[in-house]
Amino acid sequence: MSYVSIRDLRKSYGDVQTLHGLNLGFEEGEFVVIVGPSGCGKSTLLRMIAGLEDITSGEIGIGGQVVNDVEPANRGCAMVFQNYALYPHMTVAGNIGYPLKLARVPRAEREQRVREAAEILGLTDYLDRRPKQLSGGQRQRVAMGRAIVRQPRLFLFDEPLSNLDAKMRVQMRIEIRRLHRRLSATSVLVTHDQVEAMTMADRLVVMNGGRIEQIGSPSEVYARPASAFVAGFLGAPAMNLLPATVDREGILRADMCPDRMLAGDLKLPSGTELTLGVRPEDFTVAPAGRGGLPAQVDLIEDLGGMRVAHCQLPGGYASAVLPRESAVREGTHVSLIPDVARLHAFDRVSGQRLAEVAVAGADAGRAESDARSEAFAPA
Amino acid sequence: MMTDAATLAPVQPRRRALALSGWDTGVGHALMILVSLVCVFPIYWMIVTSLRPENAIFSTRLWPDAASLDNYAYALRAVPMQRMLVNTFIVSAAVTAVQLLSGILAGYAFARWRFRGSAILFGAVALTWLVPLQVVMIPNYLLVARLGMIDTLGALILPHIASAFAIMLLAQSMRSFPTEVVEAARMDGGNHWQILWQVIVPNLRGTLASLAILIFITTWNEYFWPLLLTRSPENSVVQIGLQMFISSEGTQWGPLMAASTMASLPILLIYLVLQRQVISSFMKSGLR
Ligand SMILES: Nc1ncnc2c1ncn2[C@@H]1O[C@H](COP(=O)(O)OP(=O)(O)OP(=O)(O)O)[C@@H](O)[C@H]1O
Ligand SMILES: [Mg+2]
Repeated sequence: MSYVSIRDLRKSYGDVQTLHGLNLGFEEGEFVVIVGPSGCGKSTLLRMIAGLEDITSGEIGIGGQVVNDVEPANRGCAMVFQNYALYPHMTVAGNIGYPLKLARVPRAEREQRVREAAEILGLTDYLDRRPKQLSGGQRQRVAMGRAIVRQPRLFLFDEPLSNLDAKMRVQMRIEIRRLHRRLSATSVLVTHDQVEAMTMADRLVVMNGGRIEQIGSPSEVYARPASAFVAGFLGAPAMNLLPATVDREGILRADMCPDRMLAGDLKLPSGTELTLGVRPEDFTVAPAGRGGLPAQVDLIEDLGGMRVAHCQLPGGYASAVLPRESAVREGTHVSLIPDVARLHAFDRVSGQRLAEVAVAGADAGRAESDARSEAFAPA
Repeated sequence: MMTDAATLAPVQPRRRALALSGWDTGVGHALMILVSLVCVFPIYWMIVTSLRPENAIFSTRLWPDAASLDNYAYALRAVPMQRMLVNTFIVSAAVTAVQLLSGILAGYAFARWRFRGSAILFGAVALTWLVPLQVVMIPNYLLVARLGMIDTLGALILPHIASAFAIMLLAQSMRSFPTEVVEAARMDGGNHWQILWQVIVPNLRGTLASLAILIFITTWNEYFWPLLLTRSPENSVVQIGLQMFISSEGTQWGPLMAASTMASLPILLIYLVLQRQVISSFMKSGLR
């Protein structure tokens, strides 16, 4: 039995349904990240778990107890809000200690616990300040202090880092993970930042349009996205999604340049129309005329650690990661050769992941990449 | 040393360029001074007249030749002035306190509770604001009479224990109070009562202070309702006291001005001490 279990959860605002029957379970002590585009219902889900939002239908259980009608304060969870939601008129100590005050914890114990929380978060020197006199990162820490002081079994974070600058965000990301390791309470974090999602999660829940697209570890979700949506949403630069068709001979061809073979020996029946997914790092950028997709480099982005070539194809765009020492320049004509073992195929209509694309080479890694470029000579 | 002084001198912000040119500023200031004088003059004249002896009461000189406090002594003897001032203070303070309290409670309900018909109820409250005193005067009078409260201070307070203005202003400021903070307090285990008094009210201090000043001044200056209700000078308020110096046999200008000065003194004091709050509260009420 999961620590948090959600069964057929629905939410409607008036006639508009925003959550369409979610089923989920969070294990005790795990760090779950819910990720999805803006408006997909992440906050709504989190707020329903917290008890701040009414449940239209379905069931939420925490620690084996159905909490549909339990007051937020009695669900054993603490929430950290996007805008920190600190009490402006109270000092840092007052803010952190407020839940204990409400719970009628005696003053001495309260002060002791506030001090402990402040120590964990490095707030000891700021206990007498008011929120207005703190930086964004410090405010965030106070909000976390207010959450941990109650010693909840479940932490809920709604985009806790989105108001911080890039550097602070990275630092707080690590601090939140450390805190989680130290307290080992179940944590659920909502974000629309995929880097945050990939780096923080034990388990990732990808949502879109009020539905769950995929649940899994970050590496699983990255390696085997369950749908074209997940494929395009996670990973930077984003996965290339190209319309493609399996022809009568069972050969996979991109619709934009059907004269080139991309792969043969497929598990997919002839005539399948699909969306082909290729991650930018799974394209080998070869000199023009070497097979694969013909392309012209339009723009090169230097991200420091890697360089990304945005290429113009006969009927669209694709991006590919360039090796550091690559001599490719903007304007160069190249061939983009996909790694057959790492192709993703999705149903053109539903977007659902199809069976593995290639049989041959499915187990082969990049070692065979040289052989590949021969295999895909121009048709 | 010279250069040091020059570098140390604070750099003057170049506001001039944005604001009016020198000549315009001069004219503007002159105009504002003139307007201020026009506004202040009646108050000044009231004080000056109150210090004039009876035979010089209609003197048009700007300064009293022989200032005396005779008028004050007479005013205090002729009507129970101290008693009336205390009464007025009690009524104003009580009305302020009760109206704030009812405004806070009702405002919270309107701002934070979703209940059937809340919009209609809010509209109804707003409508009562548009009903002039003259309309409710008679029914209120009959009610107070039936309660046997004619000629009591309680009757001066009773019709004012709730006001649409206070409720609407507070509901509005509670609506604009960040929802997340209220939700955080809910998560922390606060019930409605605790959230209202420990989280929301402390953060509305500015609004509440402005509103309190406004209510206090309005009540202090009220004339018509006390005039209807009070019979004996001992149970009366100071605005009624003033009227006692005006009679069909003639107006006793000196004592009237002395009493008026005493009546407006508390309000003037509030202005002096809480100037900025008073101005902002009138601005807020003007925005409604
Ligand atoms: N009180 C409300 N009334 C009506 N619709 C609402 C309400 N709150 C949210 N919605 C709708 O529900 C959907 C989901 O909202 P939600 O806030 O959960 O999105 P989100 O995934 O958290 O997005 P973001 O990343 O922008 O925070 C949105 O389409 C939103 O318009
Ligand atoms: Mg959100």
